Amino acid sequence: MVLRNSRRRCLASAAHPEESDVVIVGGGPAGLALASALGNSAEVSKSLRVVLVEAGDLSKIRDWAPAQNSFSNRVSSITNASRAFLKDIGAWSHVQLDRTAPVEEMQVWDGISDARVAFSAAEMMTPERVALDEMSRLVENLNLQRALLRHISSMPGVSIVDRTKVQSIEKEEREGNGWPLVHLSDGRVLRARLLVGADGFNSPVRSYAGIESYGWAYDTQAIVATMNHHPRTAFEPPNTVAYQRFLPTGPIAFLPLSHTSSSLVWSTKPPLAKALQASDPAVLAGMINAAFRLPEVSMRYLHNRVLEAHAGGSTLLSDELNKEIAWREQSHNVDPRTAYSVTALSRSAPGGIPPAGSDLLPPFVTSIQEGTIASFPLRMSHADAYVGEGRGARTVLVGDAAHTIHPLAGQGLNLGLGDAEALAHCIHTAVRNGGDVGSYTALAPYARDRYFENHKMLSAVDKLHKLYSATAEPVVWARSVGLEVLNELDTIKAALMMSAGSARRTDPASVGWSVAASSLETVARSVNSAKSVGDTIVGLAGATAQGLLKRLSNSSRP
Amino acid sequence: MKPSRLPKPASRAIRYHSAQRHQRLYHASRAAFVSAAASTGSQSSVNPDEIALFSRLSSQWWDERGEFQMLHKMNPVRIQFIREKLLEMRREDGEDAASADDVLKGLNVLDVGCGGGLLCESLARLGANTLGVDASASNIGIASTHASSDPSLNYSLSVKSTSPAPTSRGKGALTYEHTSAEDVLATRGPRQFDVVCSMEVLEHVDNPRTFLRNCADLVKPGGHLFLSTISRTPLAYLLTIFAAEHLLRLVTPGTHTYAKYVRPEELTQFFGDYRSAPESRPWISRLYGGVPTRTEAETRGIIYVPWKGEWTLVPRGAVGARWGEGCNYLFWVRRPLE
Ligand SMILES: Cc1cc2nc3c(=O)[nH]c(=O)nc-3n(C[C@H](O)[C@H](O)[C@H](O)COP(=O)(O)OP(=O)(O)OC[C@H]3O[C@@H](n4cnc5c(N)ncnc54)[C@H](O)[C@@H]3O)c2cc1C
Repeated sequence: MVLRNSRRRCLASAAHPEESDVVIVGGGPAGLALASALGNSAEVSKSLRVVLVEAGDLSKIRDWAPAQNSFSNRVSSITNASRAFLKDIGAWSHVQLDRTAPVEEMQVWDGISDARVAFSAAEMMTPERVALDEMSRLVENLNLQRALLRHISSMPGVSIVDRTKVQSIEKEEREGNGWPLVHLSDGRVLRARLLVGADGFNSPVRSYAGIESYGWAYDTQAIVATMNHHPRTAFEPPNTVAYQRFLPTGPIAFLPLSHTSSSLVWSTKPPLAKALQASDPAVLAGMINAAFRLPEVSMRYLHNRVLEAHAGGSTLLSDELNKEIAWREQSHNVDPRTAYSVTALSRSAPGGIPPAGSDLLPPFVTSIQEGTIASFPLRMSHADAYVGEGRGARTVLVGDAAHTIHPLAGQGLNLGLGDAEALAHCIHTAVRNGGDVGSYTALAPYARDRYFENHKMLSAVDKLHKLYSATAEPVVWARSVGLEVLNELDTIKAALMMSAGSARRTDPASVGWSVAASSLETVARSVNSAKSVGDTIVGLAGATAQGLLKRLSNSSRP
Repeated sequence: MKPSRLPKPASRAIRYHSAQRHQRLYHASRAAFVSAAASTGSQSSVNPDEIALFSRLSSQWWDERGEFQMLHKMNPVRIQFIREKLLEMRREDGEDAASADDVLKGLNVLDVGCGGGLLCESLARLGANTLGVDASASNIGIASTHASSDPSLNYSLSVKSTSPAPTSRGKGALTYEHTSAEDVLATRGPRQFDVVCSMEVLEHVDNPRTFLRNCADLVKPGGHLFLSTISRTPLAYLLTIFAAEHLLRLVTPGTHTYAKYVRPEELTQFFGDYRSAPESRPWISRLYGGVPTRTEAETRGIIYVPWKGEWTLVPRGAVGARWGEGCNYLFWVRRPLE
């Protein structure tokens, strides 16, 4: 980082550096989880002074007190392994549980062929062959961050410096083994034995360390929002099912939060995201209902209508959209007695005997919670290394500073928590052995534990995204008959199960691979393929998925 | 400054050098060390060139990705062995509540052949009052320079006193001295240290029996002696001389002399005969199948696991544990109470 303000430089270099053992830059989920894990260990806090620096105002998060039925739009699926870690460090008990929701089942299907996989917690087993209750739990990021902050507030060994930016980082003038000097916006200078970059995608620590990051921006924007919807009735599955449909423009996901609220993550082309964000929220609600139900060609049509209106400087009206939907449904012969009919659902009151197919589709969205529509660009990136060397010695990266991932497998935050867990473990071991926690020797096991693990997930998810956005003829043809799709849905399943299936990350044999043995619940609902073809595909898919699972489980632990 | 030649140091450090680095590191003058070391404590007689020299040497020695990589990686395993053994013995002595966290706290520890101070820094962080000695002035300069940049170490300049400096801030005091085990014994007298360590030195000394006797005499009754060295086996030859020196050139050829390698049973035999005084019992009083009891002495192999990039302590009683002692190993023996 370069100092822009020369007066600041004078101030900063005049200040006497404060000695600190671990300086964490970034108070996002990864940085807070690391601070909390370090502070929770008596052995570590006895010997290390931990300082966390965050540019934003954390008191807003600490004092966050939302109304019962309103939910933040930044929600993450916390896997069982992540939850076990948060329990271990004593932070989970600070999470407000009644604002979280379990995911007991996932329904994932292809937008073109309708080929579908469903999988549930019941399929997953711990190594002791105990079935898991839930696959993951949806938690607002703020709920998690608030819990971590509350936990940290009771820790004497951790100090938090918020509303303070890291202005620049320089290497101490000392031959060879100079330590990083961290210049803060309040003029203080911290001399860091170990500098942790938990500072997000544009990580200043990563630039200081001279670590390159490779990757690419996807031509995709993710829209997030909190949706209000019909409650599930007694005859329907409870709102503990996560739904995701893969449209050629990107996947749309419906993630349960409460009886009547769920979270949306809709990855789509940036112009469409922009147009949808500019529309009346009722139009977004209508488009969401349609996106889970209408055939792909009609979705393409509706997308164009939204884009045209936006390009013409106006927006599509909610009524216009409803008419379009009704018309498309008629032309596709959508049976109004089924849950596939947006029009019928919009006219009926919730309750009574559910229409056919309601277990395959998310509840009907009635409105969008005010002020919750936002979007962010998606990219895949992975740092070339997690631990700095040479001039960048005494640095380490965690969370988004080390990697960013497409949200389709809900892994972004979990990877960051996994990093925090592994790094805290590594620091603990070094302290126990009287080691220097900033030394390469102390940090090497962290990189070894996490790099390949994260890389597997990043590549699997990247490959999936690529496949779904591919427009090359053979790929599209294969998808249209469900061929590739079944294989790929299995890959998604594997990717989701990869960490969802383990009860905790640290168990050596925990990667809940019992799923490989259980039958693949692959339902070939392909419109275009004959039954016999379908059977062959299921067989093929089974073979490849099992191969994949086997490879992954073998490579997961050395 | 024209460096003059130093006597060849009996230090473990030397083995991890390439030829040209070796020249630079060990041919520094003794005079340079004295003033460089002095300058870390006081403002007077500061020679910037000499400080620069030791800073450079220190940064090479402490470059964990450089030539001393293996040594850096070995350190956690040594500490692990020391901690585990001390804890086991405290429990053996009836201190059931002894905690693994502070087994070293407050103990007086001597590290003979401390090199750049790798083991000493860890011991001091764990609360031991640590004295590191080395026959190489350069090494002491390297160790002092490095320790003085680390605020977690309660480091003070070497002063020839009769006991290690008093503790402050709960950390163990860390002191370095350019001297030998023999001199420590001569100036401080016997029975001074709760723990004496000497890692990767034995295979370099010319008279191992004298060396072992000096180390042993410095241990307090009921105290501990920890050694690490290389066994004299075909495997050890293959790995440490043939592969490391000649094939891969990881270590300067000529660093090791196969004939000087010591087998674990030779150490066992030495302490089976060794008595602190003519009338007292030998340090190892009985053997079962050639192996001493775990309360008197123990040998543990350490092996390098390339795919993890780490050294690991061969677990007790593991299949092939004896084989694991066939190359690098750690040895512990306890001085009987008197
Ligand atoms: C706009 C947006 C929306 C997202 N929405 C979702 C979602 O809905 N669901 C989902 O699963 N994932 C979402 N993600 C991804 C998810 O938020 C990240 O994976 C997760 O937050 C990573 O956590 P982290 O702690 O590694 O980094 P971050 O949460 O990015 O935290 C980094 C922190 O470092 C601080 N920082 C940076 N530079 C400095 C500096 N110089 N000085 C001081 N502090 C500094 C920042 O203020 C920030 O608080 C979203 C990402 C973005 C950018």
